[in-house]
Amino acid sequence: MRAALLLVALALAFAASILLPFGLLGSLDPDILWSLIVELRLPRALLALAYGATLGASGAAVQALFANPLASPDLTGTTSGAALGAVVTAYLFGFAAPVALSIGSVVGALGALALLLALAGPKAETATLLLSGLAISALAGALTTLALALAPSPFAFYDAYDWLMGSLIDRSLEQAAFAGLPAVLAIALLLRLGPALDRLSLGEEVAQSLGHDVTRLRLWVICLTALGVGACVAICGAIGFVGLVAPIFARRLTRGHPGRAILPAALVGALLLLVADLAVRLAPLGRTLPIGVVTALIGAPFFLWLVAHMRWRLAS
Amino acid sequence: MMLEASNLSLPGRLFDASIRIAEGELVCLVGPNGSGKTSLLHALAGIAGPSGEMRLDGIDPRTLGPARRPGFLTYLPATRDIAWPLVARDLIALGGGDASFAALELDRLLDRRVDTLSTGERSRVLIARALAPRPKLLLLDEPTANLDPLWQIRLMELVRAEIGRGGRAALIAIHDLDAASRYADRIIVMREGRIAAEGLDGPQVADIFGIERDGAEWRAVRAPADPRSSP
Amino acid sequence: MRAFASLLAISFALAAEGADAAPRRVASLNLCTDELVLMLGQPGQIVSVTHLAQSAAETPLWRRARRYARNDGSLLSVAPMRPDLVVSMGGGVRDRLRIAGRLGIRTLDLPFARSIADVEENVRRVAAALGRPRAGAALLSRIAALKAARPAAGADTIWIGGGGRTVSAQGLEAQWMALAGLRQRAMRGDRVSLQTLLARPPAVLLRSDYRQGQYSSGQRWLTHPAARQPSRARVIATDGRLWTCMGPLLVGEIVRLRDAR
Repeated sequence: MRAALLLVALALAFAASILLPFGLLGSLDPDILWSLIVELRLPRALLALAYGATLGASGAAVQALFANPLASPDLTGTTSGAALGAVVTAYLFGFAAPVALSIGSVVGALGALALLLALAGPKAETATLLLSGLAISALAGALTTLALALAPSPFAFYDAYDWLMGSLIDRSLEQAAFAGLPAVLAIALLLRLGPALDRLSLGEEVAQSLGHDVTRLRLWVICLTALGVGACVAICGAIGFVGLVAPIFARRLTRGHPGRAILPAALVGALLLLVADLAVRLAPLGRTLPIGVVTALIGAPFFLWLVAHMRWRLAS
Repeated sequence: MMLEASNLSLPGRLFDASIRIAEGELVCLVGPNGSGKTSLLHALAGIAGPSGEMRLDGIDPRTLGPARRPGFLTYLPATRDIAWPLVARDLIALGGGDASFAALELDRLLDRRVDTLSTGERSRVLIARALAPRPKLLLLDEPTANLDPLWQIRLMELVRAEIGRGGRAALIAIHDLDAASRYADRIIVMREGRIAAEGLDGPQVADIFGIERDGAEWRAVRAPADPRSSP
Repeated sequence: MRAFASLLAISFALAAEGADAAPRRVASLNLCTDELVLMLGQPGQIVSVTHLAQSAAETPLWRRARRYARNDGSLLSVAPMRPDLVVSMGGGVRDRLRIAGRLGIRTLDLPFARSIADVEENVRRVAAALGRPRAGAALLSRIAALKAARPAAGADTIWIGGGGRTVSAQGLEAQWMALAGLRQRAMRGDRVSLQTLLARPPAVLLRSDYRQGQYSSGQRWLTHPAARQPSRARVIATDGRLWTCMGPLLVGEIVRLRDAR
C-alpha cells in the first residue's frame, strides 16, 4: 500500500518536472515544444531520477555495510571525493571528454571509500565513522576548490559552486545517459546484494556462518557505490543529504531491514531529488538556488533528529 | 560419527585441531580465556576462511550457500550486538528458521523491536535465531551469558531436548564448569589454541585452569613459588 | 623617500631629449593597449607588454609580444626598465598615474572604448604618442572602409560565449557586429538561456571560441545540442580573443563575418 503511494508520488513528480512551469508550453508550436521537452526538461528530470535513486540505493547499501544509519555517501565523503576526481581529471589534466570525466569521478569516489575503510575500519563505531567521513569530506572539498583555483581556465573558479553544491541545469540528453546508465547498472546490482546485507544485521560472524563472504560483499558494495555515485557526480556535482534521508524512510517501510530497503530507498531518493529540483525551478527568487542547498535544507533537520534518536546506540 | 573434522587451523589462534561428535551428543568446550574455544567454533562455522577438513553427515557444510546452510549448522556468537532495530520475529526469520519456534517463551515478544527488550529477552531472541532452523549441528558460544539463573538452566535443558530428537548434535563453548559437567556428554578442554584434554578429571586440568576440585567445589590452586622472585 | 623620487625624476628627465621626440622605451600595462602598441609601434620602441599579451589564449599577437619583457600590469614591474612612455587603459588606480608623473614618466591613459569612434580616437592617440602617424592612418582607413561598406539590413543575431553569456545590443560588440550586417538581439541581463535558443532561435548564432580547449562548466554548457546547433539558426564561429578588447584587430574578423553571412 505504502509502496504503491510512493510509486504514484514518484510518477507525479516526474510528470511535474516535465510539464511545469506550464505557462510557457502553451505559446509554442508543436515541434519547438517537443524540442524543449526532449532537449531540456527531460534530461533534467531523468538526471534527478537517476541521481536521487543512486544516492538512495547506495546510501542504504553503505549504511547496511557499516551497520550505521549515519553512513551515507555524503557524510562519508564519497560525493566530495567523486567531485575532486572529476575536477582534477578535467580541469588540471585536461581530459574533458565525458568518459574521462566519469572515470575520474568514479576513481575519486573509490578513493574516498577506501580511505574511509582504512581510517574507520569496517566495524567502526559511530563517532569514528562520522569523524573519518568529516575529515575526508573536508579534505576533498578543500582540494577541489584548490584544483579549480589552479586550473588553466580563468572561469574554473566560478564552477566551484556547481561542483560542491550540485546542479541539474542545462544538461543534455547525452549527459543524462552518461549518468543514468551506470546508475541503473549500479542500482540493479546493488539490489541483488539485498538479502546478504539483510543477514549482515545479524553481525559479520553470523553472516559468514550463514555462507556469505563478507569481504567480497564489502568490495561489491564499495565498487557499485563508487560507480553509481561517480557517474552522477561527474555530470551534476556533489549533492548531499539525499543518501542520508532516503534510507531512513525506506527502512520504515521494511520494518528496519537494511538490505530490503535498497529499492524503496532508491524510489524515495528519486522522489526527494525531483521535489528539490522542482523547488529550485519554481521558487520565486530572482536567482537560482543550487540544488544542494535545497536538499540540505530538507535533510539537515532529519540529520539532527536522527542523531537525537540514535542516543541509544551512541550510548551503548 | 556425525561430525568429523580435522586439521582445523586459524593463524595464531588455532593449531591443527581435530574433533568428532556423534549423533545426539552434547559436547562442551571449556578452557581459559584465549584458549581457542571461539576459534574452534569459527573454524567449524566457516568464519575466517577455509580451514582443514570437515564432514557433517557426509557433507562439508562450509561449501553450502545461505539457502541450505542453516539446515546443517548455525552459529551463535558470544557478543550479542544488534545493528538495526528489527522486530524479533523478523530477526529470527533472517537466520533461516521459523519464527514460530516456541520453546524460548518468546510469543509475547515476537512483535516487539529488539532494542525495546531487556538484555535477557534480547539474548533469548538471538538464541532463538540460532535454534529455530533446527540445524544438525549447533555451535554455541557462551549461550548462557546474559541469562538469569532460571533461563540458564532452561536453555541447557532445551538444547539437550532438541538434539535428542535424532540426527543432531551440539558443541557449546562455556565458562561455567559446573554447567558443563551437568549437561555435557563430553567435555573438551582447550589450551593455547589446541585441544589439551578430555573431561575435567585429569591432573592437567588444574594445570590448565589454575583451579582444582575441593569436594563439590573448585578452588584456586596454590601457586608454586615463582623462581624469578627474590630468594 | 621623496628625495629618492626626485633624484629618479631628474635622471629620467635628463635621459629624455624633449617632449616631442618619439619615445624609445614604451611599456604597456593593459592587454588592450598592448595590442594597440604592438600594432602601431616600431619593434625597437617597445620595452614591455603584459603577460596576458604573451598568452596564445588571449590575443593573436602573442608571438610578437613574446619578444618583449613581460609585466604584471603594475607600474612597479615596469619602473626598473626605465620606460619613457607608459600606456594604460581605464585610469585604474589613480595613484598609478600620479606616481608616474612624480617619476617623470610620460603616461598615456586611454578610456575604455564604448563606440567605434572611441576605438578610432584611441588609435589616433596611440599613433601620435608613439610618433607613428602613418601607421595610425593605415588602420583608420581600414576602419573607414568597413563603415562605408556597412550592409543596410541586419540579420537577427545572438553572440554567445561560455555559460550563455551574450553582449548588450547597444554596446561596442553590437556596433562592430552591425558593420558585418549582424544585428545583436537585446537579451535581458546579457544572458541567453537554452530555452530561448530552442524556442526562438536567432537567424545567426555567433559562437565565441574563447578558451575552447580548457574545461569549465561554461564550456560544457556550449556543448548542449541547443547551444551547438539550434534549429533554423546559422552557426558561425568567431575568434573569441578579439572580442575582449574589441580594438582594431577585429577589423579582419568583421570583414570575414560580413562576407560569410
